[in-house]
Amino acid sequence: MIQALRRTATAYGVFAALILKRIMAYPLGFWVQFFTQFIVMAVTVYFWRGVYLGQETLGSLNLRQTLTYIMLAQLVMPLLQVSLIVHFGSWLRDGQLAIELLRPVDFQVQNFAQQQVGSWILLLQQLPLLVVAWRLFGLELPADPKVWMAFTISLLSGQAILLFFDWIFACLAFYTTDAFGFYLARTAIAGFFGGVLVPLAMMPGWLQAVAYSIPFAQAISVPVSLLSGITPLSDLPRIWLVQGLWLIGLAGLSRLIFRFALRTVTFQGG
Amino acid sequence: MGRYLKLYLWFWTQRLKVLLEYPASTLVGVAAQVLSPAMGVLTIWVVVRQVPDLRGWSYDEVLLIYGLLTFSLGLSFIFGQNIWFLGQNYIRTGGLDHLLVRPINPLFQLVVEYYGYGGMDAALVGAVVTVKAILALGILWSPLKVLALLLSILSGSAIFMAFFLIPSVSGFWIMDSAISVTSVFYLTHQFAKYPLNIYPRAVLMMLTWLLPYAFASYYPASYLLGKEAGGLVWAGPFVAAALLFLGYRFWLFGLRHYTSTGS
Repeated sequence: MIQALRRTATAYGVFAALILKRIMAYPLGFWVQFFTQFIVMAVTVYFWRGVYLGQETLGSLNLRQTLTYIMLAQLVMPLLQVSLIVHFGSWLRDGQLAIELLRPVDFQVQNFAQQQVGSWILLLQQLPLLVVAWRLFGLELPADPKVWMAFTISLLSGQAILLFFDWIFACLAFYTTDAFGFYLARTAIAGFFGGVLVPLAMMPGWLQAVAYSIPFAQAISVPVSLLSGITPLSDLPRIWLVQGLWLIGLAGLSRLIFRFALRTVTFQGG
Repeated sequence: MGRYLKLYLWFWTQRLKVLLEYPASTLVGVAAQVLSPAMGVLTIWVVVRQVPDLRGWSYDEVLLIYGLLTFSLGLSFIFGQNIWFLGQNYIRTGGLDHLLVRPINPLFQLVVEYYGYGGMDAALVGAVVTVKAILALGILWSPLKVLALLLSILSGSAIFMAFFLIPSVSGFWIMDSAISVTSVFYLTHQFAKYPLNIYPRAVLMMLTWLLPYAFASYYPASYLLGKEAGGLVWAGPFVAAALLFLGYRFWLFGLRHYTSTGS
């Protein structure tokens, strides 16, 4: 039993390590990304300072709260950029999907392991930008370890929710020949309803209701609101209950839909 | 020139045939992408709803800035989307080789091999938003204002194309990562959706001279609305031409360092 578990963990570990190698293969890309993200963060900070001129609060948030939230949201934003649908589309076109499905491991768990490792690497890569945000733009971080723990658990849950949602969304690639349009649409919706562009607290009630009825807020806005102090720790039981329900629902649904959608796929032989 | 124009039309026709071969997929793709600029309109609405007067700019005036920028962006996507995939689909895979062995300019081939029909949605939303704003604002037209509007759209599209090309050329060295660099350059244009006078002078200078998206939005909108824009409203075409020239030289530089994938 233990040996079987160890074998399974080693197998998925190998796939997860591939992500690390893939990211580390292009170190220059990291620095270019850092530089451009820095520009975006600088402009964002100036934008919100401009908007707040002569305003005490907007949507119950003061300037300090908004800036802390927006900077943190930008720091974790790369986690939103899952392009599973593009991968499914390209794997389908070049036949790679058949090879992926033939491996003696669970295809979804393999992707899950890769996404988790990829997320941690992406977060580690954001450390230099975090220092810049702290030193240059006055980003304030909480000192309470309980807040950090709540944030980490909420972020990990949000990432898992996002993967299961993207798994369902990526199945669209089995029905359409061009998945790039869907990828762009998802990116736009995720940025807005995930609360990266504008804090959800600033949106009118009906728009907030829409945002919380789709999973992107669970991946960005919910954990970032905890870390920035907008959401108090007393809300944790409710937050984790909601995230737990999202997780269970989407996990089951994603496996069902994938199995159903796969029936439409024809691999070209030869 | 005539030969390239003929080739351009020929490639267009082929691409159109491909798209019409899968009409449902094409329609779904276009419909899905309308969401992207629609989210932009929503963002403006959420922010400006909190601050009805954004440093002297009303909601419809901000919409005009947004509409002009989005229309230019849509045009640049229709004609230049494939440039985004230079690193990922051509350099990393060695696919650039087949463009290099043909007796046609490889950059021309890269541009015409794939038309981003997805840009139609941005162009459509941009046009609708611009017309809505113009009608709501009751702008008094003159021949100079019409010329400024047309030049801003053309030079705006050219500026976007240049900023597809310049970061994408980095794909000659950083392969796949080039697409994320291009994405961030692309992301930066979002800040030109708002009036530049809400930013400090340094940011205004950056969006005018370093990432000059302001020539596609803020300066022409200011001119059309009779606000202070100076001579900069007419500088757009020169900035666009300089950026395209720079982009092309950088492309040639990258091409000289292309080593293909071997094997």
